[in-house]
Amino acid sequence: MATTSSKSSPLAAQPGQKGIDPRGPRFGAAITTVLLAVTVVLGLVGPSVVAGTTLAQRLADPAFWLLAVITVLFAWGAFGGIQSHPYGRFFRAVIAPRLGKPTELENPKPPTFAQLIGFIIGLAGIVLDLIGVPYGLVVAAAFAFIAAFLNSVFGYCLGCQIYLLLARAGIVGRGGKTA
Amino acid sequence: MNPWIVVGILAGLVIVATAIGLVARSRAGRVQEVRGLRFVKRVELDTDLPFGSMATFVQFSTEMCSRCPGTKALLVRTAESRPGVRYIEVDLTHRPDIASSFNVLQTPTTLVLDNSGAIAARIGGAPRPEAVRTALDIALRRDHGHYVI
Repeated sequence: MATTSSKSSPLAAQPGQKGIDPRGPRFGAAITTVLLAVTVVLGLVGPSVVAGTTLAQRLADPAFWLLAVITVLFAWGAFGGIQSHPYGRFFRAVIAPRLGKPTELENPKPPTFAQLIGFIIGLAGIVLDLIGVPYGLVVAAAFAFIAAFLNSVFGYCLGCQIYLLLARAGIVGRGGKTA
Repeated sequence: MNPWIVVGILAGLVIVATAIGLVARSRAGRVQEVRGLRFVKRVELDTDLPFGSMATFVQFSTEMCSRCPGTKALLVRTAESRPGVRYIEVDLTHRPDIASSFNVLQTPTTLVLDNSGAIAARIGGAPRPEAVRTALDIALRRDHGHYVI
């Protein structure tokens, strides 16, 4: 019974927890958007949209490897934390000093969760392609592209919004501090 | 595949993503007036903070919500500038049951309760300051505390 009733701010930053510059994840999403667009194009002209290809043909597909790299980078952000992600490090080292201070800081949890959603979608595309489902790779890359585009262009975090729907479906959030 | 079809699909994706972004932006923070008397009890929100004597903002958030802290700052500022208006934040991270009973599909979602604890207005998404004032005015106009039922 305690958490939602603790004095007016159940979601305030924990002691010692540092906020991040919200422009960092948006910058990373912009790079991801471009890479996913390239994946979609390579996928559409390659063997991943053709039925009856061999595993060797699909493994020689640059779209497969590009999506694999993007998925590994999502995993990095999801499991290592958004602050440790290479795009975030590049942003802090090179871009942020030229922009001036951010007007507000953001909790790193939402973008980290969004990376996990990206990782799951990317992994689904890779697995579908490996077992030879035509268009599996392209459709997964297209969904991830839309999410990354919304994040970078509109600052709208689709992955973050999905959290509540997953919680209501009973997939995440059970067995927590109050439930 | 024909390169023009590939270009067309890519352009289509950009158009779809832009359309989703524009619709989401125009819908976010829109005020819905709530008619009827849906009284909110504090036990439903799992809170022991008191409601305001004039109106109450109830903000539903999760830990994974990137726009919730900004909305909270705006609502707290507004509540502090008006006498009798209070702010309560409800963390849905581990409470999908509360999300279901108030039919919350996105965070932040804000309910504005009138002086009797009935829902007067609802805002889905991060509101602008004008929307918060509009919703608060709807709640302050209602006066259910004086109804004799």
